Amino acid sequence: MENIIELEQVTRKFTQGERTFTALKNVGLGVRKGEYVAVVGKSGSGKSTLLNLITGIDHPSSGHVRVNGTDIHDLSESELARWRGRNIGIVFQFFQLIPTLTIIENILLAMEFVNIVPKNERRNHARTLLEMVSIVDHANKFPAALSGGEQQRAAIARALANDPDILVADEPTGNLDSTTAASVRAVFSELVTRGTTVVVVTHEEVDQQKFDQVITLQDGEITHFNFGDPGDERHGKCL
Amino acid sequence: MPMIFKKSLRDMMIHNRSTLVAILALTIGLWGVGTLMVSLHIMTNDLDENYSQTSPAHISVRSKDFNRLNIEELRKNPNIMAAEIRDKSILRVEVRPDEWLPLWLYSVDDFERLSLGKFFPQNGSYPPPEGTIVIERNNLLVSEFDIGSNARVQSRGSIVRTEISGVIFDPGQAPSTQDAIIYGYTDQANYSRISRRPAGQRLIIRFADAHSKQDVIVKFDELSKEMARMGIRIDRFKIPKFDEHPHQFQLNTLLYLNGVIGLLAFVMAMALISQLMNSIFARQIRQIGIMKAIGATRWHIFASYTARVLVISFFSISIGLPLAIVTGQAYSAFVASIINFDVLTTQLPPAIYIVITTLGFVLPLLFSLPALLKGTRISVNDALGDYGITVNESAVLNRVTSFTGSKILSLSVKNVGRRKGRMIVTMATMALGVAIFLTGFDVRASLSDFLDNNSRSMKYDIKVVLGEKLPSEIAMSPFTDIEAIKSIEGWIGGIGRVQSGVASTASGIGLVVAPFDTGLKDYDLIQGAWLTGSQELEFVVNQKAAVSFEPLVIGQRYPIAVGNTEVFAKLVGVVREFDVAKIYLDLTRYNELVNPDKKINSLMISLKDRSYENVIKVKKEIERIIVETGTSVLYVESQAERAVIIFEHLNIILMVIVFLSLLVLVVASMGMGSAMGINVMERTREIGVLRAIGATPETIVQLFVVEGFIISVLSVAAGLVLALPMSSLAAQFFGVLILGENTPLDFSFSEIGFFITLIVTLLFGYIASRVPAKKATRVSVREAIAYE
Repeated sequence: MENIIELEQVTRKFTQGERTFTALKNVGLGVRKGEYVAVVGKSGSGKSTLLNLITGIDHPSSGHVRVNGTDIHDLSESELARWRGRNIGIVFQFFQLIPTLTIIENILLAMEFVNIVPKNERRNHARTLLEMVSIVDHANKFPAALSGGEQQRAAIARALANDPDILVADEPTGNLDSTTAASVRAVFSELVTRGTTVVVVTHEEVDQQKFDQVITLQDGEITHFNFGDPGDERHGKCL
Repeated sequence: MPMIFKKSLRDMMIHNRSTLVAILALTIGLWGVGTLMVSLHIMTNDLDENYSQTSPAHISVRSKDFNRLNIEELRKNPNIMAAEIRDKSILRVEVRPDEWLPLWLYSVDDFERLSLGKFFPQNGSYPPPEGTIVIERNNLLVSEFDIGSNARVQSRGSIVRTEISGVIFDPGQAPSTQDAIIYGYTDQANYSRISRRPAGQRLIIRFADAHSKQDVIVKFDELSKEMARMGIRIDRFKIPKFDEHPHQFQLNTLLYLNGVIGLLAFVMAMALISQLMNSIFARQIRQIGIMKAIGATRWHIFASYTARVLVISFFSISIGLPLAIVTGQAYSAFVASIINFDVLTTQLPPAIYIVITTLGFVLPLLFSLPALLKGTRISVNDALGDYGITVNESAVLNRVTSFTGSKILSLSVKNVGRRKGRMIVTMATMALGVAIFLTGFDVRASLSDFLDNNSRSMKYDIKVVLGEKLPSEIAMSPFTDIEAIKSIEGWIGGIGRVQSGVASTASGIGLVVAPFDTGLKDYDLIQGAWLTGSQELEFVVNQKAAVSFEPLVIGQRYPIAVGNTEVFAKLVGVVREFDVAKIYLDLTRYNELVNPDKKINSLMISLKDRSYENVIKVKKEIERIIVETGTSVLYVESQAERAVIIFEHLNIILMVIVFLSLLVLVVASMGMGSAMGINVMERTREIGVLRAIGATPETIVQLFVVEGFIISVLSVAAGLVLALPMSSLAAQFFGVLILGENTPLDFSFSEIGFFITLIVTLLFGYIASRVPAKKATRVSVREAIAYE
């Protein structure tokens, strides 16, 4: 089966003054379409850097990143923005909703940028997404009026605005209580069953059974690949 | 409405303070530049219009032989557009008890058919009934006259009464409020009765197809030959500035001033807009990152923030444009009342609206462009990773701050240097504001010092200019018994604006003949030396007369017409004074040449007690004696009053300088407030940390206030350095504008101006830093620490 996300020998170095810090070292991985993947590791292990490379937010110092059939780092900044809007939905730890727009407007804004959902369908589509994450009653409220969990659901709905094939989430439950976090995770599971590839970055302990892949990072290197499905030919392989 | 624009509008409403500051700054800028454009249009257009509708004379010619002239025939001359007999006598009129002013009395041939030097009836009778006069409307402001007043006119020593029957408006005359002259117009019979001179001896002419003074000279040359053929001997002629109002210089100065400072205020407003856009981007950088992460292209970001600038522009134009029109009209009306002309413009040309609107939309966008491009170009990674200010360790700053002892002071000093680019822009804007403000005061000081020096150089207190030349003993005798007088010297010519007419050069430059060793005046020499009393005839010119000598070479001999005698005299020096063009000669040499009877026409009186009150008291006594003895006098002038008149000429200019400079400083301070606002906002999380470890809200405020204080002090220092060349240039510029070519004012440093600038800047700096800091302390520690 073809990988929707593929990293080959990816290294990312940061330079601060005279010091060079390697955030990722020769990382290689593959994620198949419709997989639910967790990237775990302690703070500073390189999880967010990996996620930024997958979304095209950051560029590798060396190596290749191929997502949904595109070598994304060959794209210009504007092409990348358009590509990202069509192909990837991003969910941030601190929700990052635009505070001056209502929840539904936040979703409409994402649609407006990418312009693939017809104008006359946008509002209905947005409401459908809000229904899916169970906050349709809050559609016309501003983010500040919602709880953390509700804001994160809104952020997920926004990430799905343009029906992306991939959804990446950076510590999506890091700022939520356990009950709310569980409900957010349930949304991700639901998305996976609908065929969306979901990559979640977290520093928390994860239930490996719920994921197709759990990638463990330590000091910028992948130390484990765990494949949850015993039927997967990659199951049991560790690095 | 697209969400991206909806977001922009909501952002503006939420951050209403910075939006309002931006609108205010741009409004002030547009207001300044708009007022300038509106007033420029009205003043240049309407003063010209006022003046040209008088159909001003190109020349006035005096001759006792005009009875041989057929004026109707003269008018048929194709070179002549219009010609009229318009006699003029300089008399004196009592405007209040014992207070006399010069009266310029004109005879008018036909009040109903004025063809040049026109004036317009305003109130009362017109034409004036037999035996009465009409006066200029501005005269009412400097006298107790009204329609029906019975004026006492002193003419050749006698008092003549005449009724004021009406008021006219003569846009061609200098305003009485500034030049302290009464203008009277009457028929020829009454003119002769009052002035005790025959009428019909002064002709005013406007030539056809004359486009310059040179054309006038050429055409007059032809005319004078023709007159000579008719047996008309021309006694004197005077060519005023070509088609230019007597106070055009004042208007020019004001327009230049408005232009320079209004433009600077606009530029400062633009700098502020640029800074505000930077502040907006600083505040929204993470949101830009988010939008880019969910698919926004650079264009989306650019369009969103451009819309914001355009909305700011829209509101600023909506307020600034009508405001500019109202103030431009009000300012023009104010200047019109000062210079005595009517505002005629009722409708402004569409170009003014178009230009102001275009400026309001385009320039803020241009000035915001660097910030817009920077904001749109930022990568998602950089935008999402922006947590405000980072620190680059500076060894120099560390050393400096280690001496301060106080940790707050040390932290404030370090904070100043954390955003170097922003600090430089803030300081540069503020320094420019300080420099302009200070320059305003310095120019004022230069003018004031010049006037003081001018007044100090006059060692006499009262000048009596006689109506006729008299032997000095006779001229002085009525006044020798006045106890308060210290000394009297007899001079020839006139030093004031009124020329005695006794002697003048061929080109009409006034002559002043005084003892070379007079102790009554110290001259401000620009070149060469003062008269030496040498056996050779020497002369000195003032800076205005100097321009008539091309080329001007000290030591060279030039022909000078004195009376009817042409002599060669050696130019020994050039002096500077606030006066009309003049030539100075030594009395002894002059008497030898053309004045064997040693007659004089000016009495220069110095007093024992030179206080203002005493000078006015003695002047009134002199006026009483003049009336009692029937002495023929042109005018009596005290130095103290002359200083007031000169100050009146310049005061409006000084007021405008300081007001507009203050406006620039206010805009600059708004820029600083905006920069401090960004600093505070960027450090919200840092403020939270400081408060979490024990800093009180007052300590936080103190931290920013000290930072603002440091920036203010540095700005004042930089502004002070910048103000020196600016003030020096401005002094040169205004010297040339007010005093004429080659007459720069000396640079003067205004200590009071410096202290006012220092206090105002520190005060503005304090407000600009305290307000945002105080606001930041109202955020809870939890919120501050969680600030993204």
